[in-house]
Amino acid sequence: MPDRAIRTAVVTGCGVVSPLGVGVRAFWDGLVAGRSAIAPIERFPVADLDPRSAAEVRELDIAEDRATAFARRAADEALADAGLAPGAIDPCRLGVCLGTTLGGMELFERWIANGAVAAPDRIPYYAPAVALARGLGSRGPVATPQLACASSTQAIALAADWVRLGRADVVVAGGTDLLCRFVVSGFNSLRATAEIARPFDAARRGLVLGEGAAVVVVEDARHAERRGAAVRARIAGVGCAADAVHMTAPDREGGGAIRAIDAALADAGIPPRAVGFVSAHGTGTPYNDAMEAVALARTFGRRRVAVNSIKGAIGHTLGAAGAFEAVMCVQVLAAGVIPPTAGLETVDPACADLDLVRGAARPHDVDAVLSTSSGFAGTNAALVLARA
Amino acid sequence: MTTVAITGAAAVTSLGATPSMWRRFDAGEHAAGAVVGPSVDALPAAVATRAARVERLGQLVLAAGGGALHAAGLATIDGPPRAAFGVVVGTAFGCFLTNAAYERRFVDGGPAAASPRLFAATVSNAAAGELAIAYRLGGPSVTVTAGAASGLLALGHAADLVCAGRADAVVAGGADALGDELVRWASVAGLAPPAAASEAAAFLVLEDPASAGRRGVSVLGTIEGFAAAFGPDASSVDAAVTRALDDAGIAASAIAVIAGASSGASSRAQQVETSTRFGQTFGAGGALALLAALRAAAPGAFVLAVDACPTGHRAALVARAGEP
Repeated sequence: MPDRAIRTAVVTGCGVVSPLGVGVRAFWDGLVAGRSAIAPIERFPVADLDPRSAAEVRELDIAEDRATAFARRAADEALADAGLAPGAIDPCRLGVCLGTTLGGMELFERWIANGAVAAPDRIPYYAPAVALARGLGSRGPVATPQLACASSTQAIALAADWVRLGRADVVVAGGTDLLCRFVVSGFNSLRATAEIARPFDAARRGLVLGEGAAVVVVEDARHAERRGAAVRARIAGVGCAADAVHMTAPDREGGGAIRAIDAALADAGIPPRAVGFVSAHGTGTPYNDAMEAVALARTFGRRRVAVNSIKGAIGHTLGAAGAFEAVMCVQVLAAGVIPPTAGLETVDPACADLDLVRGAARPHDVDAVLSTSSGFAGTNAALVLARA
Repeated sequence: MTTVAITGAAAVTSLGATPSMWRRFDAGEHAAGAVVGPSVDALPAAVATRAARVERLGQLVLAAGGGALHAAGLATIDGPPRAAFGVVVGTAFGCFLTNAAYERRFVDGGPAAASPRLFAATVSNAAAGELAIAYRLGGPSVTVTAGAASGLLALGHAADLVCAGRADAVVAGGADALGDELVRWASVAGLAPPAAASEAAAFLVLEDPASAGRRGVSVLGTIEGFAAAFGPDASSVDAAVTRALDDAGIAASAIAVIAGASSGASSRAQQVETSTRFGQTFGAGGALALLAALRAAAPGAFVLAVDACPTGHRAALVARAGEP
């Protein structure tokens, strides 16, 4: 039996392709400055869509298969940040765990419209992870978690499980998603979208979509120590739970979110008071944010914990959202600064129990942070990251 | 891996549903294609009514996942969500057919024709969500895609969740729905499988042995070890098998029955063939292979189920047949 109890999963590298810029530095600087990348969509026709704003990645010129291209670029940065050349890792101990909700959807759109497409094998959801695994020469576990908007939170959680259980030494983990007509029309049809994302604001009307990829290198702490790698954060706890209430609307009591948070805290072996900051899902939809306010109030009681949402800055990046939050959380732990919630002007009285960070970035040293994600089908996932 | 008990199982396939499916299997029948007939007849009326409204993948998961929960004596359909019970679904193509249905309507009729009901189901975890709602599963809910190795990967992850004490029981397995759009895509993508494409769902209830003991339920077998791997050739399949055997702490020579993809493991073991009987069932293949192997094994014997997908995904799972 593997010596499971003593392994620790840590983050040793981060990489992003974000609407605020390519690379962790541009992403972080944009967040701290309170910038929003939300603007009218330029890359594909939107005259018949309404609303039609989103947070696009404009720095990279990618002809097709954006989700895979984003993921490759983010993974390259994360591995370089971790000081890992792919060839230097035992391929059998190298895994890939990449969440997505759309993957090759742009190719799928072309196939449906024309009956033909250049690379039909890039359409399935597993394709970006397969492309990444082939590129890295991985011979370890490779998977694509599918938890809607909690996909990449669960991808990092599953990667941490693999490392802690001795199933891999290094896992390239995160999420990637792209903007396309399919997804914009879909959220519009649900009347879930707005022109501006205003998480936790009294005037919030809906979410604004975004795109990009965020990747972290999840590594066995002993493996990192042996090669003298800098540890950015420890993945202290992971949790996941179903609402089991409704397929699209969140549980108004926050039941699934609370169970996911409780599970992550129990896994980390810390009480809620040890958490100094919460990266909320904070989509800016009326129901989600109210549900989260209930769940966080129930978790933290009378203590007003610092909370932000980055969806006003980079939009809702769906299957990449949790991984973007994880990268932000790693920077918060390192820098002792919490980025503000772009788009938030007047806090909804229903969210008044939360100490929402808004306006300007807030200096705040924290030892442990919580990131939460929720999605369609009543799915919830949570991560606790801590200083190494 | 610490041992995890299997306390229930059910499947719906082109050879029908469990338990009558096994009579046709034993008689040497083979069939490929869609699951024929209403596959949710055996479920409680409230679940069957729910199933009638959901997408095809959700129907299959409700039928087989619900059946497994009933077989395990854990089929509660009312009351608050149960935090100690979870679901893990493995699927190669997930909501592909729903995506196609949504996109066709949108392309043909523009935004006015876009269906919010269909769009809400364009997530592969919709099926797991339906099962969680129907059977009050408020614990971990995970859907995972790893090509045709998705089912064993789901079972392995579910076993890990139970081992780690994060759930008392998890209903886990695999499912893929079949439809014209998927068949058309597979031929365009050059992915026509060696055995005819087929629709199926197969689920097991994996439970903490202490919980199973407290409930006094019969144990069909135990999950002993698991591994996932990736690679372009047969050596990566063998690597998954070797690691799963290591995880179980047994030698290849201890395996009595092998089902699923071929591998270099013990040649003395009995081989059980499932893909030519049920067809190529993608996400369901691993769980079906495991169930067929457990059926063929003597009490207490070790079995090995192996999944290998042309994508490069590989998975292997070691189980032990239950004592009568």
